Amino acid sequence: MRTVERFPNLATAIVLAALVVLPLTVPATLASQIAIFATGALSVALLLGAVGLLSFGQGLYLGVGAYVCGILLRDAGLGLIPALLMAALSGTVLAGLLGSVIVRRHGVYFVMLTLAFAQMGYFAVLAFKNVTGGENGLSGLPRQFDLLGFSIADPLSMYGFMAGAFFLVFLLIQRVIASPFGSVLAAIRENEPRCEALGYPVARYKTAAVALAGGIAGLAGGLHVIFLGFVPPSDIELEMSQRLLVIALIGGIGSPGGALMGSAFYTIVSEALSEIWPRWMALIALLLIGLVLFLPGGLWGARRRISALFARNTAHD
Amino acid sequence: MMDRRRVLTGMAAAPLALAAPGIIRRANAESVLDVAAVYSLSGTFANVGSGLNDGSKWAFEQYGSAAGHKLNYVLLDDRGDAGEAVRKVQEAMTQRGIKHVIGCTNSAIALAVQKEVYARKGIYVNQAGADEVTGKDCNKSGFRWPVACYSAVNATVRPLIDKFPKAKRWYTITGQYVFGDSLLSNCKDVFKEKGIEHVGNSYHSLSDREYSGYIATALSQNPDVLAICNFGNQTVDVVRQAISYGMKRNTKILAVWSTGLDQFQALGPENCEDVYFGANFWHGVDSPGGRRVAEIVKQKTGDVPNYLQACGYAVSQILIEGLNKANSTDVPTIVKALEGISYEGPTGTESIRPEDHQVVKDYYLMLGKAKSAMKDKNDLCSVVAATKALPPPEKTGCQMAASL
Repeated sequence: MRTVERFPNLATAIVLAALVVLPLTVPATLASQIAIFATGALSVALLLGAVGLLSFGQGLYLGVGAYVCGILLRDAGLGLIPALLMAALSGTVLAGLLGSVIVRRHGVYFVMLTLAFAQMGYFAVLAFKNVTGGENGLSGLPRQFDLLGFSIADPLSMYGFMAGAFFLVFLLIQRVIASPFGSVLAAIRENEPRCEALGYPVARYKTAAVALAGGIAGLAGGLHVIFLGFVPPSDIELEMSQRLLVIALIGGIGSPGGALMGSAFYTIVSEALSEIWPRWMALIALLLIGLVLFLPGGLWGARRRISALFARNTAHD
Repeated sequence: MMDRRRVLTGMAAAPLALAAPGIIRRANAESVLDVAAVYSLSGTFANVGSGLNDGSKWAFEQYGSAAGHKLNYVLLDDRGDAGEAVRKVQEAMTQRGIKHVIGCTNSAIALAVQKEVYARKGIYVNQAGADEVTGKDCNKSGFRWPVACYSAVNATVRPLIDKFPKAKRWYTITGQYVFGDSLLSNCKDVFKEKGIEHVGNSYHSLSDREYSGYIATALSQNPDVLAICNFGNQTVDVVRQAISYGMKRNTKILAVWSTGLDQFQALGPENCEDVYFGANFWHGVDSPGGRRVAEIVKQKTGDVPNYLQACGYAVSQILIEGLNKANSTDVPTIVKALEGISYEGPTGTESIRPEDHQVVKDYYLMLGKAKSAMKDKNDLCSVVAATKALPPPEKTGCQMAASL
């Protein structure tokens, strides 16, 4: 069984440092996108890492959060924070409702149900095009926001906000994993029948984890909308679910810090690869195969390996 | 020997000499105008984006400069994702100071980018198909070259009805998305006005590749005309499968919107023969502007221009015409210069309506030729009708602000 690290820990410091350095190394708009997708990938990291649930449907909650945030900003005149809270809440409620059904199935059936609901979400967006804008997306959203007297409009202030939101969610996940609730989730991941035998309401714990992950994905959707000033229909497409999963896998499942690493790697590498070859997704797939085969813990795992190697060498000296 | 005066003069000139390369560079840099082109060069729409990008880039090469500035083509690959397109345009406008943007690979991207460019007070010339671009979502920044769905339907369905007055029963097969729906609703309006019986419609999804069920349903209604309301490869597949079901024998087939030459080549002369197509551009139409496009495409590919290349060329040309007429890179001045402008475009003399920023140009109804009648490998169709069929400005739903 994996040991639960103390919180906050070295990972917290590394993530914070990475967030500070990021806009100095890549354009601020790209850095914002990295922070947003990292937030979305945190929802996958929570489910897959803490509970061992493989979801192909996190894009659904991200998409719902995006549309709820977009509609509330545009039509209800809600402010930045209330709209984001509603985005997270919508993701939580939907994931909680669907989760109560999905968690009763295991393995491939669980995966297929998440996939099916994600597809339904996309077609619902197309079907209710008067509300969602269909495949044209939802536009006409406000482009400037004020937060505690600070204007959030230019790329750098936008990045500051996105990075701040990611860091708060990162801290929340670290806290959850280190909490008694997180210990029960870890126990479920390691041996579900034994947990049930011990009297834990496993389905409720799993539903709570799915709802929490849905809320985080919904928040990521809201952040994406605020960043773009527009709701792209791709936010609720199946490809978004795949993207979040791939980012979490590249970063290293079960490591919240890996979400940021995975997102940075995926976003920067895909940006570079797309300029080399139009079918760049095939190269990402090759990289993913390489990572799964030779670096099962993802990039975050590589960091651990390098630290361990360094520590061993130092001890020998 | 160096005297004091010479030393002092030298010392004074030294900083100037050191700064000279920078000053010269800056002077040169000021004469370069960066223009962003938004195309999908990877992802699902890469084949479409690549052709459009070629046309736009070649136009820049041909013109070289505009309004006294050397033109620099800055390509933004949106990967077929509207969100990605908006992010890259944001980056180009905020971090590179670009104000002049062209291109799109689909309507969703155009609508999103048009709003983004407007919010940042730039100018955007695009080739979207959706009516909204110059309709309810129009704005002072956006200009559109291809015709809207209204024009495509009125320039194809009406002439066909006039040509075959006894063909009263029409069936439609429609791609279920905004563009397909828009073509269909415009068809219905014309049917109603002309007393045509719309005997049925089959919707198919954007992921469908097999249409035999829809075609069997259409056949069961015994229509005089089958109208296909869609865009892209699906249109080619529907035409091909309708022909393989023997529909061409008793029914006229009309693809309301096609991309012209490349789709005709994909179908081949045996399938194109006696099928009607709508098209925004045809290389066989001789005009001064068309010859300019043909010249650069011939130079680059050794062949005649297709729709994608011409369309890419056209959006570049509009911006360049605006820059030259305004003799300035100032966006409001260019917008003003473009409103009402008349120029020699790829389809002949084209102009821009000030009310909705729609280019007024011909849309063609074309008829596939028999292989024996073809003069060369590209002579697959002939133009039956060329019509400028635009909706009246007050009916587009466009509420244009007075200034940017």
